[in-house]
Amino acid sequence: MPSIPDSRANTEGGCEMIQKPLLRVRDLETRFFTEEGQVNAVEKLTLDIHDGEVFGIVGESGSGKSVTARSVLGLLESPGRVTGGELWYRDETFADTVRADHPDAVDGDYVDLESLPSNVRRTLRGTHFSMIFQDPMSSLNPSIPVGEQIAEAVEAQRRARANPRSVASRTQGYGLSQYLMSTVMGSRKYVKSESLERAVELLELVGIPDAPLRAKEYPHEYSGGMLQRAMIAQALAGEPKVLIADEPTTALDVTIQAQILDLLTELQEETGMTILLITHNLGVVARMCDRVGVMYAGEIVERGTLADVFDDPVHPYTQGLLGSIPDLEGIGARLQPIPGNVPSLLDHEMGGRCYFADRCPKAMEECLEHPPEFDVDGSSHHATRCYLAETTYSEARALDADYFGSAEPLEDAADEPVEPARSDGGNTEEDSR
Amino acid sequence: MISDRVKQSLKREFSRSVMAKIGLVLVLVVLLTAIFAPFIAPHDPTQQGLEESNIPPAGVTYTTEEFQMVDGERQTVETETRGSLDHPFGTDALGRDLFSRVLFGARTSLLVGLGGTAVAVGTGVGVGLVAGYFGGRVDDGLMRFADIMLAFPALVLALALVGFFRGSDYQAIAIPDPFVRAGLVDGMPESFVFPLGLTVVVGIVNWVWFARISRGEALSIRQEEYVKAAKSLGASDWTILRQHVLPNSLTPIIVLATIQVAAIILLESSLSFLGFSGTTLSWGFDIAQGRDYLGTSWWIASIPGLAIVVTVVGINLLGDWLRDALDPGLEGEHGGGM
Amino acid sequence: MSADDHTVTTTGRPTNEPLVRVTGLEKYFWENDSLIDRLLGDDPVPVRAVDGVSFDIHEGETLGLVGESGCGKSTTGETLLRLQEPTGGAVEFDGRNVYDLEGTGLKAFRREAQIVFQDPFSSLDPRMTVGRIVRQPLDIHDVGSKTDRRAKVQDLLERVGLAADHVDRYPHEFSGGQRQRIGIARALALEPEFIVLDEPTSALDVSVQAQVLNLLDDLQDEFDLTYLLISHDLSVIRHVCDRVAVMYLGEIVEIGPSEEIFESPRHPYTEALLESVPRASTDERDRDRKTISGDVPSPRNPPTGCRFRTRCPQIIPPDDLEIDQEVYRAIMTLRERIENRAITLEAVGDRGEYEDEDGEFDVTDPDAFVADLKADILEWPVSGRHDERVTEAVMALASEQWDDAAEQLAETYGSVCERENPGLPESAHPAACHLHDVPSVEDDRYGPS
Repeated sequence: MPSIPDSRANTEGGCEMIQKPLLRVRDLETRFFTEEGQVNAVEKLTLDIHDGEVFGIVGESGSGKSVTARSVLGLLESPGRVTGGELWYRDETFADTVRADHPDAVDGDYVDLESLPSNVRRTLRGTHFSMIFQDPMSSLNPSIPVGEQIAEAVEAQRRARANPRSVASRTQGYGLSQYLMSTVMGSRKYVKSESLERAVELLELVGIPDAPLRAKEYPHEYSGGMLQRAMIAQALAGEPKVLIADEPTTALDVTIQAQILDLLTELQEETGMTILLITHNLGVVARMCDRVGVMYAGEIVERGTLADVFDDPVHPYTQGLLGSIPDLEGIGARLQPIPGNVPSLLDHEMGGRCYFADRCPKAMEECLEHPPEFDVDGSSHHATRCYLAETTYSEARALDADYFGSAEPLEDAADEPVEPARSDGGNTEEDSR
Repeated sequence: MISDRVKQSLKREFSRSVMAKIGLVLVLVVLLTAIFAPFIAPHDPTQQGLEESNIPPAGVTYTTEEFQMVDGERQTVETETRGSLDHPFGTDALGRDLFSRVLFGARTSLLVGLGGTAVAVGTGVGVGLVAGYFGGRVDDGLMRFADIMLAFPALVLALALVGFFRGSDYQAIAIPDPFVRAGLVDGMPESFVFPLGLTVVVGIVNWVWFARISRGEALSIRQEEYVKAAKSLGASDWTILRQHVLPNSLTPIIVLATIQVAAIILLESSLSFLGFSGTTLSWGFDIAQGRDYLGTSWWIASIPGLAIVVTVVGINLLGDWLRDALDPGLEGEHGGGM
Repeated sequence: MSADDHTVTTTGRPTNEPLVRVTGLEKYFWENDSLIDRLLGDDPVPVRAVDGVSFDIHEGETLGLVGESGCGKSTTGETLLRLQEPTGGAVEFDGRNVYDLEGTGLKAFRREAQIVFQDPFSSLDPRMTVGRIVRQPLDIHDVGSKTDRRAKVQDLLERVGLAADHVDRYPHEFSGGQRQRIGIARALALEPEFIVLDEPTSALDVSVQAQVLNLLDDLQDEFDLTYLLISHDLSVIRHVCDRVAVMYLGEIVEIGPSEEIFESPRHPYTEALLESVPRASTDERDRDRKTISGDVPSPRNPPTGCRFRTRCPQIIPPDDLEIDQEVYRAIMTLRERIENRAITLEAVGDRGEYEDEDGEFDVTDPDAFVADLKADILEWPVSGRHDERVTEAVMALASEQWDDAAEQLAETYGSVCERENPGLPESAHPAACHLHDVPSVEDDRYGPS
């Protein structure tokens, strides 16, 4: 059994982390087995998430950030599979209930979710973990009133607690009698009126005006922002400890995005839940997150506190990403884009080098070997997968500009010519998940 | 027009699916027999021989009981007829060789099936694309007409139209058989009767399906930005229909057409069965002929029936293969974005 | 493009006139307009996607059109190019009304004005090779010989940063950014003067977006292009545009030089938009921003007067009323909900006090009901004489007198913003807001903050 290293103190932003991390992800690997070949969507991903923090994962499309979220939740669908790594979740009571049946999966307060059978893991969804998605319209059933759908979620959580075989029930003090009652009584109606009432409360909590009336309406009668609120209400039904938000505001307008971000901040402060926020929008990250991980080609290439990553980026990819955003505060100079495209993530095309080397303006000879994670300047919370953390860039060891294939046609207009497998292969497979 | 991706997809789906292979084999068999019928057929399908009537298929022995007056007494005499390889599928009541008739009947069925589908595709796709692309009043008018057509049961409509074509000279035309003309085979019919009127009728009965599906396609393709782009470049509506709308709506049309060939073959058989075909060399006609003998000579109706089943099943399997291979996200990976 | 190709359109426009002049452009879509609806006698409902929009675009500049989804910015772009027929108004291109053009005149316009679309997937026909896509405009206008066209296509592809030997590939073999480059090459093929860029980068990743923005910038310099850039992304707009028009619910609420719009926005909506964008910097968390509540109203039934008034954080109270903005906003929201009857009376309170056994609305203690309702609905504490007025009006709700309650509130709290549409005045940087009405008799205590 692997031992758990000491948790790292998070000293940024005034929130002193003396606790052990809530979630410890170690060497997580997710693969998609597609016709074009094996796609390494998540590659040896390691990170800690602490109690009550907002952790942001930022990256471009095809970087594997959404797959990471789904892997954590155990929601991958074929042909995707977690093929390796551990996912330690700290919850004392949960550890106690699982210990008897799965002693190997428990270490102290921690439970390795990856070594639990899927039916046990499922009991965590909704009650411990829940998720909100980018597109609320497709996540809600168009033919059932919104209130009923949330009530259903409420009931599902209630049943999970009332189910004597579920792990949660023993901890929540519910017993067989409730189970019998709900079985007998629950069948009278589609959802019980008390669940509906709870649903209305939840809708009010997320700021939907005239919730009793809106609860009876169907998803198509809601605006995009309202739907996103309704989905957050649904995710909150089981009072989860961890909320995974996958691009929660990408489909929304800026004024509505601001409202939803405020709502999430408010809810987080009220309930103290932990949020794992997946986004491509660096502004959203800056607004919401305590700590950030930057993903590229399935790896976290740089992680640290918000200030570490935004003010002292070490990895050239992070620098490139920040340099690509047009500035709202002033007419900036010419943008500094990253040349080229996101790689395909196909296993046989990845090779053993640094995955960013072909687009990197500072690629050196070292980069032909895959970099491990380095701590930046001896910091305990800022780490990056780049040799530049330890060595300085030197022209002498730089790789030729056209080392990785054809020279680029124009100085900055620099998509390299694609091979057919690249554009319709891995990225899209993975994105559509 | 067919990209490598489509080819790959077709191949992949084919290698995966046993049914597709069966379908292809069945359709190829029917197609080849239809083309080379004069070479394969052991007899002239129209040649009658009363002394050889009602012979069962090869390997089948059939016993008829007859009452005969023997020595002034009524006796039951059992006559045993044994099928032989001379008539592998047996003969009908007029002594015509059923095997040969099935082979030649395949020509009628396939020609009417393909011809009728061509008529249906031509009218239906034309109407549908125009209705869907232009929308508004044009669409309202054309599609309400299509709905009315759809309200009639297919067979009833077909019968009415057959009546309409009855007097025409083009109801049936004789096509000379090239193999016989060239002197490659002897003893086969000189020409082959193609029921043109019937083909047009079954086409007209079925055009609505194509109109509906191509209208739907046109409606959605009209919204595509590449159509707007072509408009902004100054392309005419005709150019846009020809260059963008038609090619991009082909996939479902092809799939539907395959399935409609089978449906039209069935309809042709029904009409022939009812005696409205214009040719006497057709599976449906043979089934009608054999109906009276179902109790005694069951094969007369069953063998052409079996031929219809084999053909229709084969084409449908092929259609399923095309649908599975072409449908799922043909270049449709709109998954981009973030 | 050689000069003689311009003969049709370069006539008649004095040099100081704008290249594109849009006047009172309207585009309505009609709902309930099918045959059956007409038979049933249902009146068609107009959806006012674009409702009287006017602006100029000068040669060589980039005008940004910014707004949230559904504000009509894309419809404006398409109607402007006559990809949709307008409901009203006029667009002059090079001195000629685009909607009067026919035949060769229209064809000449099609050469001069092009569009680049948002969706790099749907904007390229999946069944055409890249070569054919880029060649299509040349084919339509019959430019040059076959070999000329082929050479031109290869030139264009290289110019936008693709390889010339990509001509025989299909769009699906390219990434989003590369497809967008193909779309740009197609728009450039006829060497137009004017290009509408309809959200050209919103489907792209930031790093690729930066590549495309740089490319568009270079092309503008090289070919003296005039751009209309439609986008919801304010930072893109700021980076690229010389002047900016802000749209809300089918109307332009503010238009002016980019610098001024971003540094000193005059319309409360523009201000709210700018405030709402999260900045990618570590100061962002501590930035105290003023966001606006509520949703964009439906364009089927836009608010009277100023369309932004239902969400406006600076709505103007009547002159004789002394009231804090927050209190006034809270009362106006209450009014709004009473007028729309969007309050479920029986659900007021926490425990269903105002509900009888059958779930019907039933009030035994009106005072308690009013107190509960105020607690539930009002977003800001209201006190003093305003509280008295509100209490009085809400009391009418206890007996379900909705109209009565609405009227009482309207009498005291009616705003100029709901009576009059402010309209866009003539100036270099106009804003359609009563805050900027010419100060007449009153003082200008509600002036720009």
